[in-house]
Amino acid sequence: MILLYLITPALIMFFISFSHHIYLRRILPITNLMVLIPTLYLFSLGKPYAIIGEYLVATNLNSYILLISSIVAIGVTLALITLNKHVKIDNRSYIKFYRFFALFWIGLILSIMSNNMGIYWIGLEMATLSTVYMIKTNKSKQASKEAWNYMIVGAIAISLILFGIILIYASAKPILGEEAMNFALLKEHIHEIKNPFLFELGFVIVSVGMFIKMGFFPMNLWLANIERASFYPVGALFSGILESAILIGFFQFSMIAMQIDKEATFSFVFIYLFLTISLVSFLIFRSKDFMRLFSLSGVEHMVLIILFWVSGGYFPALLHFGAHAFLKPALFLSTGVLESQGRYKIAGALKGYHGFEGKTFWFIVGFFILAIVSLPPSPMFFSEIYGFSAMITLAKETDSLLWMILAITILLLILSIIFYKFIEIYQSMKYEGEEVEKIVYKSELLAFLLFAVATIGLIMPQTITYLKAIHG
Amino acid sequence: MIDFFIGLFMASFLIVLFSGRLYRLIFWYAFNSLALGVITILVGVEHIDNALVISGGLTLILKAGVIPFVLKNISQRFNLIREINPTVPIHYSIILIPAIIIFTLYLAEPMSSMIGVNSNYIAISISSFFLALILMIEHKSVAPKIIAFLMMENALFLLGTTATKGMPMFVELGIFFDVMMAIVIINLLFKEEHVK
Repeated sequence: MILLYLITPALIMFFISFSHHIYLRRILPITNLMVLIPTLYLFSLGKPYAIIGEYLVATNLNSYILLISSIVAIGVTLALITLNKHVKIDNRSYIKFYRFFALFWIGLILSIMSNNMGIYWIGLEMATLSTVYMIKTNKSKQASKEAWNYMIVGAIAISLILFGIILIYASAKPILGEEAMNFALLKEHIHEIKNPFLFELGFVIVSVGMFIKMGFFPMNLWLANIERASFYPVGALFSGILESAILIGFFQFSMIAMQIDKEATFSFVFIYLFLTISLVSFLIFRSKDFMRLFSLSGVEHMVLIILFWVSGGYFPALLHFGAHAFLKPALFLSTGVLESQGRYKIAGALKGYHGFEGKTFWFIVGFFILAIVSLPPSPMFFSEIYGFSAMITLAKETDSLLWMILAITILLLILSIIFYKFIEIYQSMKYEGEEVEKIVYKSELLAFLLFAVATIGLIMPQTITYLKAIHG
Repeated sequence: MIDFFIGLFMASFLIVLFSGRLYRLIFWYAFNSLALGVITILVGVEHIDNALVISGGLTLILKAGVIPFVLKNISQRFNLIREINPTVPIHYSIILIPAIIIFTLYLAEPMSSMIGVNSNYIAISISSFFLALILMIEHKSVAPKIIAFLMMENALFLLGTTATKGMPMFVELGIFFDVMMAIVIINLLFKEEHVK
């Protein structure tokens, strides 16, 4: 029954998308608010709570991720109301965007709540396919090319994930039968597996598939190009919800893999992440437009989330995850307003906002940009402090303390390049360029306020206590 | 009997890599799916697994029948270019493809020995997966890439059938649903481009 309540807002959106009365979209943020009722209700239940048998199970981890995704979805529907004021979109494409957004959301609810690898994959595939059409709502030649690109590369990534799942299933089926797809059961019986090699191979293939989907090495520009070509809410949905679903999958698989061989899992993931962040920092330094900048910065933050997670820093990983999931969609949505005077005009982008709404907008965007570069008291500042200390703690256990200190130093150097670039951009936005009057709409402002409040909510003592209680 | 159909499954993969015509590609995809459907039914009968027999039947109806028909229909309706020469010259492919097969068979050997049952089939399904990737890479136009995606899915289905004696029924049904959804999206994408 809870599942029905969870997907009801998405179903309402889906059915409304068949109506030609485009103004109906205005009620969607209100109907979407309904998703908070079952989501918050999940927090009051004892965990693990079976939503549908052993297939969909609410845990502390996925309830938190679902809450974050729900808030992002509400924010995106708020900002979507004025999409046609910022970009050229016909009514037909507009209502279809909502239709595929609804399918995307249903797929991701299934993925996030799943306790079964098969259902996880089905939900992820459903969301991936729905996104293809959302990219295509932009009628430009570039968007068309990128939609096909996403279809093909996304298909490769998702196929690799399925390939890995089959190998993991094959490794555990002799002892667990059809229940080998069950994450919780697999975690419990992992040491009974006769062929851990097969599991590890499956894990590596699943991880590579997930890393491709998240735009990691060597596919760093893949996601950035797609987000650049599509309308700005697509980037928000990618970074706020789709990537959350991929990350929760990685959390589940890596928790099991670390039980088999923690050191090997860490080494493999660390090398991959290190290559990614080195390349991404260079690309961020060279980026000349908002969309690519935010997209590449999203990759950087996902690298950090995964790095903290595999280091055993579950609390910093989840805190960083929450902050990334709120700040990045907020920044993507703000590009709709920031780019109203031309796509690549960074100089003066934060000038020309008058009145209460305008001034609130530049204040909030300034807050988002400074929070994303981890300036205190941003949740990202705390997560990075805790995350790096988790890496040191791990190194002490494995007698490689000096190597870890060296790695952290290099990472900090890389992060400082990104920090410098963002500050430079912020200064250019605020103090350079001409002042041209720009409009911010109330619904957008409401969405930004929602993201700002949610980000602040992450550093509330109750949230921190909750996150510290989650152990993967 | 299964060996015979596995051979046909692999052979259809090799043929599509050298095909230069779209309809031929669709035909060989249908043939590949037919072989896959029969293999799944035979494995299901051998292990007395009704779920596998049902998913084999669904493969025959959907992948060997409905999807090729829809794909042909799409290509006619939207006037897709039918001449689709691979970008990798054939004389290079002749060297490259056997090399990939040998490499993947070698790669799959430790895995096959661990799974035990149907070890050669696992190696063939992994080879097929890589061959589908090659098919995707060697063409510039979208239509062959879509066929490659569908054939990649076939290779994974074969891996699931042979390595695990079939995945749970609801997962297989979910995969069918996703493949059908992919076809709907592909149709929509072509339609949008045609309207434009």
